[in-house]
Amino acid sequence: MRRSALLRILVPFLVVLHLLLHVGLGLAGSAPDLLLVALLLAAREVGMGWGAGLGLFFGLLEDSFSVLAFGANGLALTLLGVVGARTRDLFVGDSTVFYFWYLAAGKLLRDLVFWVVAGGGVREPFVSAILLEGSVAAVYAALVGVILILPFLGRNPLP
Amino acid sequence: MARYSDSPEEGRERRSLTWAVVFFLLSVILLYLPPSLQGQIAAGFRATLLRPFILTQEAVARVQRRAEDASQLQAQLDSMAGVIVSQGLLAEENRRLRGTLGIPDGIRQAFVPALVIRLGTVGSESMFLLNVGAEKGIKPGDPVLMREGGIGLVGVVKEARRGTAIGIDWSHPDFRASAMTADGGVFGLVEPVRGSFREEDRLLINGIPLYEPVEAGALIVTSGLGGVYPRGIPIGVVEELADQEGRWRKAYWLRPVVEVGSLTHVLVVVGGREAEELWGLFMEGRLPASDSSGAGGEGG
Repeated sequence: MRRSALLRILVPFLVVLHLLLHVGLGLAGSAPDLLLVALLLAAREVGMGWGAGLGLFFGLLEDSFSVLAFGANGLALTLLGVVGARTRDLFVGDSTVFYFWYLAAGKLLRDLVFWVVAGGGVREPFVSAILLEGSVAAVYAALVGVILILPFLGRNPLP
Repeated sequence: MARYSDSPEEGRERRSLTWAVVFFLLSVILLYLPPSLQGQIAAGFRATLLRPFILTQEAVARVQRRAEDASQLQAQLDSMAGVIVSQGLLAEENRRLRGTLGIPDGIRQAFVPALVIRLGTVGSESMFLLNVGAEKGIKPGDPVLMREGGIGLVGVVKEARRGTAIGIDWSHPDFRASAMTADGGVFGLVEPVRGSFREEDRLLINGIPLYEPVEAGALIVTSGLGGVYPRGIPIGVVEELADQEGRWRKAYWLRPVVEVGSLTHVLVVVGGREAEELWGLFMEGRLPASDSSGAGGEGG
């Protein structure tokens, strides 16, 4: 029940909200990375194969607006889909604290992989892109993600 | 004899791992596809799944436009009328002089107004979408100018398809513009320089001969050299000396005329047939070297 609710309601809602905020309204850093939150939540439920596929699809949605770094988001989110699915075997926690660190670490990893793959012409300096802006964006995405999944955690804890 | 086989759980995990490897390889292949193929995939997504979100931003931009203060628009219209009236005599003089000297009319540029769609996705920094494309004659390499509050160089079109075009603004690492001081005395090349943060991105005019004086506050405009940007479009104002190399070259920081973050409307300069014909003659070597360089400097 909880799993189907998460996959059928929350994940599509997060994807549409992300695109509405980032593409429809053109908000960049002021809106959280909800696409990543959706991917990390879904990956723990659907497993590695589907997680990677979903990551590739989400990444291509973002790459559609990137001329010089096409594919960088696709690769980063595919990897995130795999890593997210693997965490289910390594961490069985279902607390808000676990999800906070899970989402924050995922966001940092996503930014790091993108930074490495995107190429020197496109990326910003490491300190500002990853350590400063990346950290703030990670905490922001994690906070918003935890707030959004609270109703799903509260009613039906994971087995 | 009983045969050994995987348990259903192990089989599922193996299939899952196989699919994960397939998707990972696919993502690596997509990364190294030729740019034309990548562009087609991206255009496919933009024209289908992402179209409603792009249309949303277009609608928001239109609403913002309608909400603008009418008195401000009237003031802009009055200023434009003043400029047109004062330049009427100049245009007539220019026409007569050209006729007297037997010089053909200069290259005429057509302007296509467009709505700017700024995106907030990862990797789309320094880029923008336009709500018009190839059907209006827009093609890669066409300059994009600011339409409101005065004229200034925004960037250049990188990709044009039916109904939409993608451009880069001056803060993009690929942006370059041949430039000069407004009086045409000093020439150089304008390029962006990344700051530690996006807000610190600046423009630099480079390659200025050491002994050419450039005062702080001087307006830098496009020189027309190279034929990409029409001559005379404001780019920025000189702030201070940035760098000096040996005894032959110096560079200055510029304050850009256009703040790209707040753009909603632009003009795309659609090159006329004359420009293409002139460039074709130059490429075929039909113009003598000295003449061709002069033609590029004046008309490009």
